[in-house]
Amino acid sequence: MTFRTKLLLLSSITVAGAVALVTGAVSIAARQGFERADGQRRSDLLAQLRRELDTRGREVVSQVERAAASAGVQRIAAGSAEFDQAQRESAAQDLSFLDVVQPDLTILSSAHWPARFGYKNDWEIAAEDWHSAGAAVGTAFFARIPVPDGPSVVALVAVRPTADSKALVAGGRLVDPAFLKSLGDAPGMRALLWLPPGEVVDAQGGNPDITKLAGLVNEARDKTAEATGSVQWTSSRSSSEAFLAFPLPHRGQIAGVLLAGTSLAAQFALENEILWIGVVAAVSGIVIGILLGWWTTERVTRPVTQLARGARAVASGDWSARVEVISKDEIGELATAFNRMTEQLAEQRDRAIQAERVAAWRELARRLAHELKNPLFPLQITIENLRKARKRSESEFEEVFQESTGTLLAEVGNLKAIIGRFSDFAKMPPPDFEAVDLNEIVQSVMRLYEAQLKDEGRSKIDAELDLAEGGLRIQADGEQLRRAIGNLVLNAIDAMPNGGVLRIASSREDGHVHLSVSDTGTGLTEEECARLFTPYYTTKQHGTGLGLAIVQSVVSDHGGKISVVSSPGNGATFMIELPVLPGESV
Amino acid sequence: MKPTALPWIAAASLLLAVVILRAESRPRYGGTLRVEMSAALSTLDPAEIPSDPVALEAKARLVPAVFETLVRLDESGRPQPWLATSWTHDVARKRWVFTARPHVRLHDGMIWTPAAGSLEVGDDRPIEQILREMARPWSAIVVHEADGTLIGTGPFRVARWEAGKAATLVANEGHWKGRPYLDSIEIQMGRYLRDQTQDQQLGRADVTDAPVGTTDGASDETRTEQTLALIFDTPRSAPAMREAVALSIDKVAIRRVLLKGHGDISGALLPQWMSGYAFLFDGKRDVARARQLATGSAPLTFAYDRQDAVLRSIGERISVNAMEAGIIMRPGNGVADVRLVMIPVTSRDELAALADIAVVLKAPFSFSAAPYEAERTLLDGFHAVTLFHLARNWSLAPRVRSWPDLPNVWIGQP
Repeated sequence: MTFRTKLLLLSSITVAGAVALVTGAVSIAARQGFERADGQRRSDLLAQLRRELDTRGREVVSQVERAAASAGVQRIAAGSAEFDQAQRESAAQDLSFLDVVQPDLTILSSAHWPARFGYKNDWEIAAEDWHSAGAAVGTAFFARIPVPDGPSVVALVAVRPTADSKALVAGGRLVDPAFLKSLGDAPGMRALLWLPPGEVVDAQGGNPDITKLAGLVNEARDKTAEATGSVQWTSSRSSSEAFLAFPLPHRGQIAGVLLAGTSLAAQFALENEILWIGVVAAVSGIVIGILLGWWTTERVTRPVTQLARGARAVASGDWSARVEVISKDEIGELATAFNRMTEQLAEQRDRAIQAERVAAWRELARRLAHELKNPLFPLQITIENLRKARKRSESEFEEVFQESTGTLLAEVGNLKAIIGRFSDFAKMPPPDFEAVDLNEIVQSVMRLYEAQLKDEGRSKIDAELDLAEGGLRIQADGEQLRRAIGNLVLNAIDAMPNGGVLRIASSREDGHVHLSVSDTGTGLTEEECARLFTPYYTTKQHGTGLGLAIVQSVVSDHGGKISVVSSPGNGATFMIELPVLPGESV
Repeated sequence: MKPTALPWIAAASLLLAVVILRAESRPRYGGTLRVEMSAALSTLDPAEIPSDPVALEAKARLVPAVFETLVRLDESGRPQPWLATSWTHDVARKRWVFTARPHVRLHDGMIWTPAAGSLEVGDDRPIEQILREMARPWSAIVVHEADGTLIGTGPFRVARWEAGKAATLVANEGHWKGRPYLDSIEIQMGRYLRDQTQDQQLGRADVTDAPVGTTDGASDETRTEQTLALIFDTPRSAPAMREAVALSIDKVAIRRVLLKGHGDISGALLPQWMSGYAFLFDGKRDVARARQLATGSAPLTFAYDRQDAVLRSIGERISVNAMEAGIIMRPGNGVADVRLVMIPVTSRDELAALADIAVVLKAPFSFSAAPYEAERTLLDGFHAVTLFHLARNWSLAPRVRSWPDLPNVWIGQP
């Protein structure tokens, strides 16, 4: 990861974190505020519901009392009224139900079910409620009332006696959506009434899922106290409603549970709105932060990038690389120092090259002088002998002449060979790649030097081959490789005048082939190792100093590397690493 | 004024009052009678006998005003000559020959003249049975005109007919018994009971249907009878269940409270005063037995006229009674399992009346059976459960006289 990326990432994370933190804090604070306000509103609505319910109860008691005191009900009690007189009385008192019954609860007239005259009243009214009908103050309570068209309905009822106490009047108002709606009709709020064993009357006229309210209802019933909770009706969160349930006790039992439901849709919508605003703000902040960070990073890292680019250029050999000094701060000082350093490095390199070139020329001259001097001396001696022989007899001269010209030709040939080697090094041709087996090349080289290794006139050298199984097929110039490996083998033989072990090993690893040529000779010093591949450098008495230079040149032309490990007295190991395909890896 | 003049003045006043009363009791010609009814008749063709009891009752009343039969039954149910003046049989008693009344004109003014001046009926039944059947309004003489209209010989002719909606009958000036008192009768059909009541109160109708059991006191000779009954139409109810319903109904309470003592409790189709054997059909309540019979019964849909307050109350009471026996009868419209209907007693003749009731019950009927046997057959299986015999009631405007005897109805002083 680049410095710029790190810097950009750091600045972006910092900005994004800060924005997210602020947005989250604002969202949480806003939501808590709305929840507090909503909770207060629900409490107010519930209080209003309670008051309205008490009011409806008192109204029912009053309506039933008025009905009981009416002339029509008196006639019913006296048996002189129509069988459906209760219908007219209930309509006059705006009651949904009105039954006038005898003390034994036989119906004299029923408003909602006139045909039930003569039958016993079977409203779910506790015996004590009937008995307390004569009390001065009546109370309203919930009861189930059988109806003609269904099993039963729920009503808020009261029981009062007629003026002459000959009959009882039971009347009530149907607990239906309209009734619940009259308790409180605030927007987003509804009242529900749960009644045992498990009926729910909804102010909106809906048919709510009782099972979803069961937990809340049971909690309110069990604790005989208010309970709060929320219900999510559908998979959508906006269908959630917060409910406040409070039980309606009657004669030691829970007659029902009134539920005040307020939709959480508006709250969720507001929260969503805040959330979205936060998200938009956060995203905007992050984008702006990234842009600012990018701009800042660009400004900050541009000199550093230029320095890095300059350093890479220098590393790749471009000694003319310079960086622009665009500030006077620490980065500017760094750029100036870099430029100064590269200038000095270039100067030092030029001087080194010059010195090396001079040294090379000196070495070349010395080598040439040395190589040429050896054949020249016999030439000189032979020519002098030939002059002296002129003074001898014809036959002696002829003999000397033949011998001398032979020697001259041999030495001239020797000179040509020396010149040829220098010439070969000077014009090393580019490799001609083809598929070759490195092991086969090694074995052919060893066959070439087999006789030399077994020469009786010198100490014994044992050859050990440790070649990779299955061959090592690579793309290479076989002739050049053969020549390079031959040079290494020849060097090893030269390094072991007293005999030893020549070991050649090959292997394949990491897409490269590895070849090592080891000897158990005298070894090399560290300085010799460092200069070993320099042309015309040799540690041998009669070497040209071109053998290892040629080896290095061949290996380099094949895209490989060569190194040497050695120490005095411990022999030397030359290690070659070649790619299977030039410029590619396996 | 001298005291001696007072007796003369009193006598003159008395004489004037008698004259006025006599004038009022004497029928007057002219006027239009406005009749509204719940029934909606599609046609007045006597050959088509409606199975709907309301339509049957209305048609049985209107058809004789337009179409006449060869014979009619008197108040005692005895056949009397009408369009036929006499009848006799051939030697083998296989054919009866009815002599046509002369000078009878059809509504188009043509003389009604059957071929050879007589009508022959091939029937080897006793003549009493044949005459009873021929006295039914559905056996009236009808002439089919080329344009499809029907004409008869009755005291009124059809001047306008809108099927199911309205009709106008006008006096047949050339009726062989003389012109009826009314000039015309305007009939509106298919009217809701509340609309009829409203029109009656606003003076827009002279004769309208009245709720059940609102009037009573007509003599046996003049009153028109109808039978309140349950009819089980669909096969969903088993005989035991139908019997359970019949046993569950508290007829005494219904008559005492809902009918305010009107009508007669009965288990028979025809009233006791008419058949003399109605007491043989037991209609007593037995809730315990009903519960036994109703065990495992399915709910029934129950239809009744909810516009008629009394019928609705009776229907609801029957539902309550049935519920006590464990039978659920839910109010329903359209094709219901059981209907609460008023079956008209269309004739003073038992068999003729039972024949029309059989049409309502969609049951086969034979005039060859004795009335008791015929009625027993109709009631077997409890497809019909008879509850009460009630007078057929109408609300009449004060000026209407002699209703429901249509040919003799006249308009008096309000």
